Parts: sequence; C-alpha cells; structure tokens
Amino acid sequence: MARPAVILVGADKGGVGKTTVARTLIDYFGAHQTPTRAFDTEAPRGTLKRFHPDLTEVVDVTSVSDQMKIFDTLGSADAKVTVIDVRAGLLSSTLQALTEIGFLESAKKGQITFAVFHILGPSIASLEEIAETARVVGDANYFLVKNFVNNTTFFEWDPATYNSYFKKIKGAEEITIPKLNEMAYEQVEVASVPFVSFVGNKGPKGEAANYSFVLRGYVRHWLGNVWGEFDKVKLVDLVSPKMESNVRQVAG
Amino acid sequence: MSFRSSITIVASPRPRVGKTLVARLLTDFHQGENRKVVSFDLNSGERTLTQFLPQQTVAASVRDVNGQMALFDRLVTDDDTTKIIDLGHESYESFFTLAQQIDFIEEARQRSIAVAILFMVTPDQTSVTAYRNLRDRFPRAMLVPLHNEMLGSAQYRDKYPISGSGGLTVKLPALAPGLRKLIDSPPFSFANSNMGSATDVPLDAHIELQRWLRRIYLEFRELDLRLLLADLSSSIRFGS
Repeated sequence: MARPAVILVGADKGGVGKTTVARTLIDYFGAHQTPTRAFDTEAPRGTLKRFHPDLTEVVDVTSVSDQMKIFDTLGSADAKVTVIDVRAGLLSSTLQALTEIGFLESAKKGQITFAVFHILGPSIASLEEIAETARVVGDANYFLVKNFVNNTTFFEWDPATYNSYFKKIKGAEEITIPKLNEMAYEQVEVASVPFVSFVGNKGPKGEAANYSFVLRGYVRHWLGNVWGEFDKVKLVDLVSPKMESNVRQVAG
Repeated sequence: MSFRSSITIVASPRPRVGKTLVARLLTDFHQGENRKVVSFDLNSGERTLTQFLPQQTVAASVRDVNGQMALFDRLVTDDDTTKIIDLGHESYESFFTLAQQIDFIEEARQRSIAVAILFMVTPDQTSVTAYRNLRDRFPRAMLVPLHNEMLGSAQYRDKYPISGSGGLTVKLPALAPGLRKLIDSPPFSFANSNMGSATDVPLDAHIELQRWLRRIYLEFRELDLRLLLADLSSSIRFGS
C-alpha cells in the first residue's frame, strides 16, 4: 500500500489565502482521482468545510484528541492524501507539535510523505515567517507559495531579500498562485462550491447551476494555471508516484 | 441543421476595411431568411452599426467584466437567435484574448452554436499575422477570409491560406461610388425594399444595387452551407 501523504497549508499571518490554496489542492487531487480528506482548523467556523463539506472535518489542531483523529488514522483512512488547512498563527506551533508527537521523524524515515505549503502574504512580515518555519520544518517538502489570488498590489519584497530567506530552506520550491478576477472570485464565494463545480456549472449538491459563462471561463483559466504550478513541482508524483501526473483538463 | 444557431464575428485588426458594412449586410441577410437576429456593435466610436440597425443592434464592450458578461453570456445563450458581431479594430485583441481564455469556441460548440470568423483580408502584414494567429488560436472555429473588392481587386490568396473548415474566400463585390454613398448614409436599410428614404434612386441604380445584393447574399448562403458542413464534419471527427 502506498504511504499516506499529509499536506499542511498554513501561514502565521491571516488573510493570505490559505483556504483558497487548500481548495485548489483538493480540486487538483480530485481531478487526479486521488482520494483526499481535509481538516479545517478554523474551529468552530470552518471556511474550508463550507466549500468541501463532504471531505472536510473541522478540528482543533492544538487538542490531543483531534491530533489523534488526524494522525492516528493516516494509515487506515480511505483517503490517500490529507490536507490540513492550518489556522492563521498556528503554523509554527503546529509544526512544533508534529515534532513532539514524532510525526516529522516518521516523515524523515519515509513512512509518511509530508509537505508544507507556506502561504506568503505581500508584506515583509511574511518573509520573517520563513526563517521561523525553517527551524522546525525539517525534511518536509517545503513549498513557498506567493499568493496573488485577490491581491491587486505588487509584493513589497526586495527580490534579494526574498532570496536570502528562500535559501534558508534546503530544497524549498516556489509556487505562484496568479490573480483571479475579483468578480469571479466573489461569485465562487457566494456559490460556496469547489472551483471545479463552479467551472462545471454545478451547485453544492451537483445540481445544474446558472453561473456566468465568462466568470466560469475566468475560473477555469485561473485554475488551469494554478494546477500548472502544481504540475511544475510534480505534486502528484510526490503524493502518489505511480499515478499519471498530467491531468490538466479542468471540469466542465 | 445540426447546430441550432450561429455566431458570425466580422473581424480585422485594421480600421476602415468594411467590417460594419459586412455586419449590416449579414444582419439583413439573416432577417431576410426569417431568422431572429441580434447584432453586437463593438466599436467604441461612432457606433455606426447601431445607427443603421437600431432595433437589432446592441452596443457591446469587452473593456470590463460587466461588459464581457453582458456580451459573452448572451452569445452562448441558447435562444435560437443568429448573432452577428461587428468587432471594431480597437477591441480586436482584447476580444480574442478573452475568447481564448474562457474557451468561448468550445462552450459554443457544446451548446450546438456554430461560430464563424469572417476576417477582412488586406495586404498589410498586421492583418496577415493576425489571421495566422487566429488560425492557431482557434483551430475549431471556422475562419473565413472575406475580400472586400471595394478596397481593390487584388487577391491575397497566398497570404491568407484557407483553413480546413473555412472553405473559399467570401467576396464582397465592388459597388459604384454613387451607390456606396447612398448605402453609407443612415438610415439606409438593405432589408427595406424601397431602399430606405432614398426615393430619388434612379431605376438603373436600384437594379444595380439589387444585383449587388443578390451576389453578396449568394456568398452568405454558401457560407451558411459551409458552416453546416464544417459543423457536421466536426461532429463526426470529434464524435459528438
């Protein structure tokens, strides 16, 4: 049996689009027929659960019982990939907790595939998080995600400064999430459906919907580019080496 | 017909090559065939098409998302209506960039709407490059060169290779300068048998105009058939 994979999506800063990235990951694995489950650590609300209610459970990642719910079931769950949307401010402490329970050690031994998607915001504070995270991330597959999805301004980092932080993490890779038209983004929010459902003109229960063709087109184009970034870092090969890694056709 | 309705985009990256005239003729032609027709005027300036065909024409724009939705969402609506787009040169690139990005041709095909691009051929390199670019970007659209003989009788066949489904070049025959002035003065209408308000048109001019119209309508009728044939071929080739 293939080893389970855990993907942590987080940032220490709020409002940088962690949940958006987690949603694109769930859609991506769905398109590759990779069974996936998700944990939303924004207890008790759970934004991720709103978009993927059937796959998502809201947990408190700081509680031992919920940590057991996530990590003790890795081998037995049907889902091959576990995506954890870590609440703002909890990335470093979650990584610390994973060290303490021996999870990172298991990843180091190759028993579990572990990846961290560190979402960077446009401010310089985001870069400082990298140094902080780098201390505890260990041998995880580390992805620094520049998220432009709903940002109209340029990132304020100096490239040289960014590179100095970037190089602190061995083997780190960079992913860029492009901007999505504001109205298209907003309409997916209102619809409360996965991006692929919006593209496929489907409602929350799979029923036919009536979303704008233009907005669906924007989302399809954008999602294709995001998935192109995931293809670039060979994400499917990472979580499931034998699977076909070039599914680019977005639903619809 | 296997397609329920069609969209014809009259396009050129150059101004003043006769796009609006072709869009007017197409609109009147389809009306004459008893089809429901709506035309979209994507010229930001004088809105000439709107002046000639105010009842059938919608002023459109692709500058912002609201305009894009108003145009493209309506284009792909299955309302059994023939749609004509007079694509002004200033909107040319943004229109086709968006169309490619949102996969407009494929969406139309899935809804059984046939799309033809009538490209106004001229000898300049900008147009030649733009034509070849369209062929690469929209391999499943029917791309048809249209030669406006009023711009000169020279042929540019080598510069505008016919695409697989596009078939022959459509010809817009030349018209005597006096008659051109007549048809270019609003509210002239080709559909009106009395030739609009031009009651002082001499009989021989009237006959010449009718003859000219018959020639161009014959070209459009052939275009219609080619569209049908291309749609059938495409259905067979792609198994849908």
